Amino acid sequence: MSDHWLLLSPAGAFVVAAMALFVIDAADPEGTNGTLLSAVASAGGLVAAVASGGLLLSGAATPGVELFDGQLVVDGMSLIFTFIFGSVTALVSLASLDYVRGLPHKAKYYLLVLLAATGMSLMASANSLAVVFVALELSSLPSYALVSYLKTNRGSVEAGLKYFLVGALSSSILVYGISLVYAATGSLLFADVAAGVGRAAADYPGVLGIGVLMIVGGFAFKTAAAPFHFWAPDAYEGSPAPVSAFLSSASKAAGFVVAFRVFTVAFPIGEIAGETYAVDWVLAFTVLAVVTMTVGNFAAATQENVKRMLAYSSVGHAGYALIGLAALTGVGSGATALGASMLHLLVYGFMNTGAFLFVALAEHWELGRTFEDYNGLAREAPLACVAMTVFMFSLAGLPVGGGFLSKYFLVVGAVGAGVWWLGAVLAINSALSLFYYSRVVRAMWIEEPDDSRDIESYPSALYAAVIGAAVVTVLLLPGLAVFDVAAFDAAAALV
Amino acid sequence: MVTVAGIYAYAPAIAVLPFVSFLVALLVGRWLPRKGALSGILATLGSLGLSVAMVGHLVLTGEGYDETMYTFVETAETFDLTFGLLIDPLSAAMLVIVSFIAVLVHVFSLGYMNDEDEPGLPRYYAGLGLFTASMLAFVLSSNLLMAFFFFELVGLCSYLLIGHWFREEGPPSGAKKAFLVTRFGDYFFLVGVVGVLATFKTAGFAGENGFPAVAERVLSPEASAEVAVDTFGFAPETWFAVLGLLVLGGVLGKSAQFPFHTWLPDAMEGPTPVSALIHAATMVAAGVFLVARMYGFYALLPTVLAIIAFTGGFTALFAATMAVVKNEIKQVLAYSTISQYGYMMLALGAGGYVAAFFHLTTHAMFKALLFLGAGSVIIAMHHEEDMWLMGGLKDEMRVTYLTFLAGSLALAGIFPFAGFWSKDEVLFEALAHGLESPLLLGGYLMGLAAVFVTAVYTVRMVLLTFHGDPRSDLAADPEAVRWNVKLPLSALGVLAVVAGFLNPVPIQTLTGVHVEFLHDFLDNAASEELLTSAHHYGDLTKEFAGYSTGTVAGGETATVLISAGLSLGLAVAGAVVALRLYGGADPARHTEKLGGLRTLLMHNYYQDEYQVWLAEGLTLGVARAADAFDRGVVDGAVDKVSSVSLLSGYGLRRLQTGIVTNYAALISLSVLALLVAFAAMGGWF
Repeated sequence: MSDHWLLLSPAGAFVVAAMALFVIDAADPEGTNGTLLSAVASAGGLVAAVASGGLLLSGAATPGVELFDGQLVVDGMSLIFTFIFGSVTALVSLASLDYVRGLPHKAKYYLLVLLAATGMSLMASANSLAVVFVALELSSLPSYALVSYLKTNRGSVEAGLKYFLVGALSSSILVYGISLVYAATGSLLFADVAAGVGRAAADYPGVLGIGVLMIVGGFAFKTAAAPFHFWAPDAYEGSPAPVSAFLSSASKAAGFVVAFRVFTVAFPIGEIAGETYAVDWVLAFTVLAVVTMTVGNFAAATQENVKRMLAYSSVGHAGYALIGLAALTGVGSGATALGASMLHLLVYGFMNTGAFLFVALAEHWELGRTFEDYNGLAREAPLACVAMTVFMFSLAGLPVGGGFLSKYFLVVGAVGAGVWWLGAVLAINSALSLFYYSRVVRAMWIEEPDDSRDIESYPSALYAAVIGAAVVTVLLLPGLAVFDVAAFDAAAALV
Repeated sequence: MVTVAGIYAYAPAIAVLPFVSFLVALLVGRWLPRKGALSGILATLGSLGLSVAMVGHLVLTGEGYDETMYTFVETAETFDLTFGLLIDPLSAAMLVIVSFIAVLVHVFSLGYMNDEDEPGLPRYYAGLGLFTASMLAFVLSSNLLMAFFFFELVGLCSYLLIGHWFREEGPPSGAKKAFLVTRFGDYFFLVGVVGVLATFKTAGFAGENGFPAVAERVLSPEASAEVAVDTFGFAPETWFAVLGLLVLGGVLGKSAQFPFHTWLPDAMEGPTPVSALIHAATMVAAGVFLVARMYGFYALLPTVLAIIAFTGGFTALFAATMAVVKNEIKQVLAYSTISQYGYMMLALGAGGYVAAFFHLTTHAMFKALLFLGAGSVIIAMHHEEDMWLMGGLKDEMRVTYLTFLAGSLALAGIFPFAGFWSKDEVLFEALAHGLESPLLLGGYLMGLAAVFVTAVYTVRMVLLTFHGDPRSDLAADPEAVRWNVKLPLSALGVLAVVAGFLNPVPIQTLTGVHVEFLHDFLDNAASEELLTSAHHYGDLTKEFAGYSTGTVAGGETATVLISAGLSLGLAVAGAVVALRLYGGADPARHTEKLGGLRTLLMHNYYQDEYQVWLAEGLTLGVARAADAFDRGVVDGAVDKVSSVSLLSGYGLRRLQTGIVTNYAALISLSVLALLVAFAAMGGWF
């Protein structure tokens, strides 16, 4: 039993840190000591990341361990994703030290971040549809509040409201889908659902089919995949930039991990779309992947606002990661593409967080929002601009960071699964993405600044977070080797 | 080997010393009194001393050295990539030649570059240092991959040095040409290196585990299955021949053999001491040395040997004819170099391993001498190179004239100068083996014909430069040269006379006195142990290529005499012809009478033209087409994609209205559409 508590230690780290913040907030309601709050939150994230990384590399969770009568499972995939959540939480909490320095209710801010992270880590381990829903709500509800954290800022409040309304709609779709699946199979536990899905597909194909598709919709909301992505650009643009980073990296990854597990474990494609055909969810994800990639990148290409561009690019990356599910065609093992998706989300956790934190830095300096406002920034802040350049090129898939390798694996996986054209769509979209990513780089390094701007302070915590993310992004180019075996093993264990 | 390690522990210093001088000249050269010349001279002297010590050690103890110094790629399953040193008689002798010439070139440069106040001296001496270091490391290489690395460095350095006067028009162009043409050959070499590694899992030159020995075991009649190598589906003979030819590509490029010879005359744009170094000891010699280095491999491949011999003989004659009509003194020497390396290739192809290296040695001496002599003349003539503007220099420039004459007679193959002995041995080997293998006979005949032509152009060069009346004001009043020019000339002049007695085979055949010193050295016990000995190679060519020594007129002695007599006779005949044509006080331009033939020769058989066409007409055309394709089709498609993307992007942007009820409607409608589509597909209702 003690082992089991150890296996939950990453989630425990989030919870403990959150409780500590409760206590601090109760003792000091005004929350004047921002450094302490940030340190506690960062430490919580860091401990979670280290613990999950250690558990992953020690092999303590291979094969997966089921807890609480199978309601939770800890395996390679859940640990990889908890590592992502922990890292992103630590980076975001560190960066927020400078971002929310002068704002009220700091303790609640960090608290909400940690509670959302707790929900995400539960999503990664969820092994029944009920836990999936509860964990998803646990991560979503704090997120809504976080988006409108800037209470006096109209944009922030509006974004939070939109996010909440679309989220409510999506949650209702999801929970309705769950209820239909329960009706068709008679269980919520993934293993039992999987056992009953074959009969259900034969007896009630319509009920099961609608249920599965609605669950797809619910997860599409969380991962900001088209057509459930509408909330994302508005929410990312309106919310504080560290929160955007958190949502677009960690929250998206959480949506993916739960989708990976639900669909590979609970709805085996052979049972559901084999001889007894109810619904081909691989096809559904293929459609979603293509539409999401294309919509995200095409929309990103026309933006004038850097943060909004990043928001759309984040939609595009959701499309790339969806290839992991779209490649489970039964040709080849599909484990390569699925593992590549995990790796992509891992790398993405760092490069995208870093990019949004750079925007946070720009907001801190009150530079403005458009590409032009970044003109000539490299002269004043060369180090941060180098980091941003790394993020942009790595996001585009150039071999300066881990983004190159993870995209490469995705293409290899797609080709191996016989859907080479998905790889081609990815390549075309990546080429297009280079266009808008390089606009940022060009503005920073090549363009002349329009007017003299004055950068007075260089916020050290924000800087540290940005540089840290850049260093990890670069290190992941050679260092992805540390994770790729784990990711491919985790994927192979699922499919 | 522990005791032996004593002297060999210093072997890396042979290459490292010039490298240090490279660094010194590069980093602090501009503050040194001689801009790096002195450190270069000291370093090369050190290399020379150590090289001589290596030779001495080999002679005295008969123990060679073949060790891996550094493994830069270690693999568990396949093979390691390493740097190592191989010191056997061949490499030791070559080390002496290279470092000796390098010392003299450094000294001569004091007169040619420093005294003339040339610009960029530190750069120049840095280049010389790196050039020497690369060549010495190339010679020391224990495996083909390392040899390739330094082969390339040699090529790079020659590029840098030929283009030393980069502000003028000619030198950069010549440098580029040298680089590109040799690189074209090196491309094949690189593929060959990869092929050798993939086939034999080793690229080592020497010993039982070297790739020549493995190849021998595979090809030998009593080959057992255990030495099977991966020949990629070919018969081993065929595949090995392919590998040999691939490596030969690099050799032909570097040694300026037909059809890759075109870079060498243009390389004359470099400073003359550099030309001496390139022609005598480094760049051009590297190719021939490489064949000799892996001769254990080539000796197994009769087809490749025949190709080498034929190419060599052809190049010897072909280049010699072009030298006859040239008017610049360095141009004549350039073509003579191509021609002389042709002889070496002929010897290697004909199984004359010792003869080839013998000729390499003597040629290094007299060609360095001729170039330095030409350099001296050029100094005197204030950098005028046209021989028709010279004449009558022999009285004003006594030392230069006498040494140059010695070198010329050696080049022409006149008894008893160095070139006579070595060229004679080359031709003898070709003849003796050619009698039994008719393929070689063609090479021999061309080589023989080239003797006559060589004598003609050599004597013509000497007469035009030094004899007759001065044909310009410059020639009437030449600038004096100093000790730093005369010293190297004198040293080489002596050697050009006596170097032939390293291996005077005819003397041994006639008198029975054992004087085959070079042969004995190359057959030294050390080479025996490393499987690089001359008689091992002799056995291989006999066994695998079927070379056997034939005789004419009943006996070996007679054959030797007839061969020597023939070549000497032709050389003398050529000299006499040239004397009669150009001997007077005011020689006429006899080549004008050649008419169309002269045009052909002056244009170098239009070799440059077709290669320029290959580069400009063909390659550039293909490149343009590719460029047009890239711009029109690829870029066009990308541009179209991006404009379409932007357009549709704006469309998508309009979907994002910012009104949350619209979002909800869109989401609900999309889910509905998805449901309807899948319901229709799944036939749910």
